[in-house]
Amino acid sequence: MSKKNGRGGARVLRRALKYIGKYRLLLPVSAIFTVITVALSLYIPVLVGDAIDLITGAGEVKLDAILEILIFAAILVGGAALSQWICSTLNNRIALGVVRDIRNDAFERLERLPLSYHDSHRTGDTVNRIINDAEQLADGLLLGFTQLLSGILTIVITLGIMIYLNWAVALVVFVLTPISLLVAKFIASRTFNMFKLRAEAEAKTTSHVNEMLSNQKIVKAFSHEDESQAKFDELNGSLQARSLKAIFFSSLTNPLTRFVNSLVYAAVALVGALLVLTDNGAGAALLTVGELAALLSYANQYTKPFNEISGVVTEFQNALASAGRILEIIDEPCEIPDGADAVVLGVAEGDVSLSDVSFSYTPEIPLIEGISLEVTRGKRVAIVGPTGCGKTTLINLLMRFYDVTGGGISVDGTDIRDITRHSLRKNYGMVLQDTWLSPASVRDNIKMGKPDATDEEVIAAARAAHAHSFIKRLKNGYDTRIGEGGEELSQGQKQLICITRVMLCLPPMLILDEATSSIDTRTEIRIQKAFSEMMRGRTSFVVAHRLSTVMDSDLILVMRDGNIVETGTHEELLARGGFYFELFNSQFAK
Amino acid sequence: MKRLLRYLKPHWRDSVLGPLFKLCEATLELIVPLVIATIVDRGIAEGDRGYILKMALLLALMGLIGLAFSVTAQFFCARASVGFVGRIRSALFAKLGSLSYSDIDRIGTSTMITRMSADSTKVQNGLNLALRLLLRSPFVVFGAAIMAFTIDFKSALTFVAVIPLLSIVVFGIMLLTMPMYKRVQGKTDALLCTARENLDGVRVIRAFGKEEDEIAEFREENQLLTTVSKRVGRISALMNPLTFLLINAAILVLIYAGAVEVNLGNLSQGQVLALYNYMSQILVELIKLANLIISISKALASATRIADVLDVESTDTDGKAVCGVGSEYAVELRGVYARYAGAPEAALENISFSAKWGETVGIIGGTGSGKSTLVNLIPAFYRAEAGEVLVDGVNVCDYDPRALREMIGMCPQRAVLFSGTVRDNLKWRDPNASDEEIMEAVKIAQASDVLDKKGGLDAVIEEGGRNLSGGQRQRLTIARALVGNPRILVLDDSASALDFATDAALRRAIADMKGKMTVFIVSQRASSVMNADKIILLDDGAAVGIGTHAELMEKCELYREIYYTQFKKGGSENE
Repeated sequence: MSKKNGRGGARVLRRALKYIGKYRLLLPVSAIFTVITVALSLYIPVLVGDAIDLITGAGEVKLDAILEILIFAAILVGGAALSQWICSTLNNRIALGVVRDIRNDAFERLERLPLSYHDSHRTGDTVNRIINDAEQLADGLLLGFTQLLSGILTIVITLGIMIYLNWAVALVVFVLTPISLLVAKFIASRTFNMFKLRAEAEAKTTSHVNEMLSNQKIVKAFSHEDESQAKFDELNGSLQARSLKAIFFSSLTNPLTRFVNSLVYAAVALVGALLVLTDNGAGAALLTVGELAALLSYANQYTKPFNEISGVVTEFQNALASAGRILEIIDEPCEIPDGADAVVLGVAEGDVSLSDVSFSYTPEIPLIEGISLEVTRGKRVAIVGPTGCGKTTLINLLMRFYDVTGGGISVDGTDIRDITRHSLRKNYGMVLQDTWLSPASVRDNIKMGKPDATDEEVIAAARAAHAHSFIKRLKNGYDTRIGEGGEELSQGQKQLICITRVMLCLPPMLILDEATSSIDTRTEIRIQKAFSEMMRGRTSFVVAHRLSTVMDSDLILVMRDGNIVETGTHEELLARGGFYFELFNSQFAK
Repeated sequence: MKRLLRYLKPHWRDSVLGPLFKLCEATLELIVPLVIATIVDRGIAEGDRGYILKMALLLALMGLIGLAFSVTAQFFCARASVGFVGRIRSALFAKLGSLSYSDIDRIGTSTMITRMSADSTKVQNGLNLALRLLLRSPFVVFGAAIMAFTIDFKSALTFVAVIPLLSIVVFGIMLLTMPMYKRVQGKTDALLCTARENLDGVRVIRAFGKEEDEIAEFREENQLLTTVSKRVGRISALMNPLTFLLINAAILVLIYAGAVEVNLGNLSQGQVLALYNYMSQILVELIKLANLIISISKALASATRIADVLDVESTDTDGKAVCGVGSEYAVELRGVYARYAGAPEAALENISFSAKWGETVGIIGGTGSGKSTLVNLIPAFYRAEAGEVLVDGVNVCDYDPRALREMIGMCPQRAVLFSGTVRDNLKWRDPNASDEEIMEAVKIAQASDVLDKKGGLDAVIEEGGRNLSGGQRQRLTIARALVGNPRILVLDDSASALDFATDAALRRAIADMKGKMTVFIVSQRASSVMNADKIILLDDGAAVGIGTHAELMEKCELYREIYYTQFKKGGSENE
């Protein structure tokens, strides 16, 4: 199992690295500058140590020699600073580029995925992958790599210099420093459980808060505030106790590692100072004061790269998880493309026929089975039934948002799988109950299906849809922006704009979803009028909630639990005395 | 932030002791370079090995004492910040519980939840960091400078020069990039919004074949975000190289100046070494301080937002009356106007009617016509802008809200149940209700089959009642309103998810109840209100008809129109 995961991780990594591949020329340049930065900045303490060695006593100081060393050091400082700047600028460019590219790819893929993907994935989650996971990926993978590189280099070079200066001191540092890492690890593993307990308490508190605050009005209606507060205080109390434990114990990491560091420092000072006093047998000391100073400054910083690297590992794991999530979108198979010989449907006549159509969202649960239906041009079909009976499924099939799993649907005698999706969909005018408008002006929304429409056409369509009178009263008329940060429209007004949108291009076939309840009486009457005007002479499928609409239809499909249980005209169905009869009569029940 | 300080008061000891211990630890850290200097100047110079050993042990001991100090400090800081935020959260939750419906509308649920969760956590972390580091970092920076002065005045002047320069670089870059990061966040939000809108509208976009346009728009916004991010990245990339450059330049100057002084006999080698060590300490602390300020400013913003909510004065009613005066009328409205905060137009205009005890009142009209507003005035969820609402002869604003709401069984539009058992949920109105009473209410609400299917009163309801269908939830919320025999029952469009037959059976069962309740039925369906003793037809906030079904059919045109759109009598209406 874990092996499989490991391989999955490697695969994800390879795929993610491809995105960096585009910047493969910049990457080695950045690596070279990282090496330069680390090497130069680590060499500076050695030079400072050399200078300090020349500061011996009053009247003995060789100022010229010191100045020479210091000027050389200054050049190195400048060089290190410059290369550090180049390095981070380059990394920034690569990281941002990768984020941009991967986001674009993911978004493009979303537009090409079958609708079943969108219906089975929550919007918030998908958006999160495109926005946050993409960023996490770039931060973790790329910045992780450079940090890893500079961390390892720092450790190796520091150790090298220390051994060069004095192997005994190097050994002290090399042996003692890992203790601080062990301490950190020990605390992390000990506090893991505390954090888990805290997370549990937090989840409980959060769900109580969410539940109560989302329904605060009901809480008040039942004067339930005190009970709710008592429960909150109880949950909050336990959360506090667990938080304190977790926060306190995890915050011990820094003091403890600092303590280990100060022990190392003291040890280096002791061993180093004693070595300065020790003769190497050739009349000189084993170590100079300047070298001791350099060693002390290395000892001080030696744990830093270790901590950074362990941070990088977590970052890296997160990045890999993020990469997996966003690549899942990119690797999702696209909608079956239109066939090479798919015809472009011009303006259809509007003969729709379903022959032995079956469909299911999941193979185990058959939904629609063996539906056959002939709808000739200009006919009006009403679809009725209780909520959740599969009315939208039928719309999904007609518009080819989903492909049938058996049988076939044809328009004007051509199977819709042999027609390009765009041209098929252009032949349908769709007004759904959940009215979606894009965040743009009213005019742009209306022109969605016909971007080159003139203002006169737009207004004419709005008049026909009974929408003109309210649109012209909006703050900026047709230029009023809607959606995020723009004008708030009522549900009914939104639906009128959706109707206008269809009215402007007036395709030969219509799919209409009557609103159930969210519209005020007068607007409702307007929408009804607009609907019946639109339907004149067009093949229309109406998800009907009003008996008046149903009764005027040429054909009624009665749906229940995903299946068409009865078909016929109003009179025929009433005469049959079945489910439709029941539905119809319950209207009048007392 | 000041407004929140009273919640810190009970923790003032912790909040003083925490930073104090932190400073003790920092003081020890400032002494270390001096010890090293004596090791060089005395231990090495005089070849005193015993002295070197003593000093090294002193360094270790100082590390140990430092550890004790900082562990103590961490404890006090953690306790203060956790306790502080615990208090704030409790106060916040209580405040949110005390708000009126209008306050809730104005503030919004998502805001309330964010204040309770993300904002509180940010304040907790911010306070913890501030207590630990806000004093410590400047203390070390200035402490190092002061220690340098005690060693040698002339050399220490380098510190005076370099500290302001470093501060300018560190804080300058921070100030410069902070608004830019805000813009990056803004652009990120915009991109997120574009993606979300696109996904929400996926059917419409495909129906109109707009996929390519959407891709182009996303690419453009994505590029914009990238450009802005690059710009801010270029500036913040300067931070590390510039500070590195400054501090090292200062070190080089310091060493040369030190060398000159040593040559003159004013300074020793060990002292130069100490000055070098002090300079190195400054940089780390300044960068810590800059990061700290960013975190704290975020925490402060959260704190301000929390304080703003805590400062809200609840507009809920606070009368004293606990019972009515035994009036003939259950509910009376006299010339009532209602308006939602910030709305240009009134939601209800000049509504007057009265309902006797035991009567059923139907309220019909489209969405936005003011039906819910009207029934929400009865339990004083909202206050009338003008006119009077009386329950049992007493103005609702003069009631103790609890006493008033106990009289009323409310079944709101949105059928919401809470996590817990069915029994827990049904006992909301009356915590002492017996199982028999509850089952009686369930029967009237036509919910017996729901209980049969789900496993009785002990069946577990998940958060939001998501393991129930809309219709099942609705019937249980009706049962919830019926438990404890309210004198007034309000069904606010509560049967919308029920089929017509169940809806009718429900109304029949309510009508047959013993000790008749006064019932308000809000609905869009003419069939639901047809049999009421009184029907109020609302349109755009005005009562355009009040009367029985027969009366309204006769004299109210809009009522007729609604009736006929819903019940098309064969051929009586032809367009």
